[in-house]
Amino acid sequence: MKSEVMKSVYKTIYRAALIMLLLAGSSLSAQNPTTTGTINATLNNRNGIALVFDTDPAGAALGATGTSAVTLNFGTISAFGPLSAGITRPAVTAASFTVRTVFDVKVTQGGLNSTSYRLLANLAAVAPNGFSYNVDAVTLNTNQQTIQNRAIYGNDIPHNLDLVVSTAAPGAGGPAVGTPLTATINFTATAN
Amino acid sequence: MKISYISGLRSTCLVLCLWMFAVPAIAQTGSAQLSINLTVQSSIGLVFNNNPSVGSQGFCPLGNAGSNASSLDLGSASYNGGDSLTCILFSQQGNFYVVDSAFDVLVTKSNSSSANYQLSAQISSVPPANVQWTLNQKLLSTAFVALQNANNYGQPVTETLEVRVRNDVPAQILQETITFLATAN
Repeated sequence: MKSEVMKSVYKTIYRAALIMLLLAGSSLSAQNPTTTGTINATLNNRNGIALVFDTDPAGAALGATGTSAVTLNFGTISAFGPLSAGITRPAVTAASFTVRTVFDVKVTQGGLNSTSYRLLANLAAVAPNGFSYNVDAVTLNTNQQTIQNRAIYGNDIPHNLDLVVSTAAPGAGGPAVGTPLTATINFTATAN
Repeated sequence: MKISYISGLRSTCLVLCLWMFAVPAIAQTGSAQLSINLTVQSSIGLVFNNNPSVGSQGFCPLGNAGSNASSLDLGSASYNGGDSLTCILFSQQGNFYVVDSAFDVLVTKSNSSSANYQLSAQISSVPPANVQWTLNQKLLSTAFVALQNANNYGQPVTETLEVRVRNDVPAQILQETITFLATAN
């Protein structure tokens, strides 16, 4: 009697299991396999400030204009002779003459709250005998000096570059004549 | 034990806050370089100036004085009638009449060890017959004529322009462009 009851129980369990397997099988066959993953993305949005030189329409053409490392060729300069395009001679006195060109500085920034910048400049090396370099009437030396205090970002801002040359003869305080001379001016823009 | 832990935490925070305020904010900067090339050349310059006696007889004013492209009006003159300008020194010399006016030439040098310069002049065209143009008594022609050989830089040199016209020269405009040439010695 007991075995009959057990048989009935086993049969019922077997049928239930069969039904569950059938149901599960139909469900599995209806769905594609899936999997999941996550990417933990991080962007470090840094702030920065960049300075480039642009050729000014009224000035001499800059080599590599639009970059932060440009060249400016004054050509052959003299107190009375002809000058290259874009070079002017605003002053000639008994002691010196001045040749000038104008160039543009454009400073851009990102990620800063700053609305203006300070422009500084210095000579990379001491000026040769008989020369002085001025940017906007500031006489340069090897220490950084302020050229402009509150310049606005994103604009081409023209600056005068003046070379004041002694009229003295070579060996008497004047510059070397007929020899190519070079100088480098470092510019720094600091966010206000 | 708990009070001591909280107290330590507070001290640490305080130190950190003080450190944050003590360290100055580093300003953002951008830098760039401008490289310059040039060659200096010796040069000399020449300008025409009015003589200090300008306006008095023999010293007419220059047009565009102080430059290297000036003009000089010698007025209207005739053998018998003299000159229309009072600043002209007029005279009759035989069959010729002569008009004189003086001005200054200033030559300066730059970046040169030259000690002095030579000054020459030429007229632009051959004058009509019996008309002579002179500078400091040197007869001018269409070729350069030396006026002085060793003038000092930076010191004005007075040059007297003279036009000699014979009394049979037909009435006409007498005009020349006189080119001055300073050459460093």
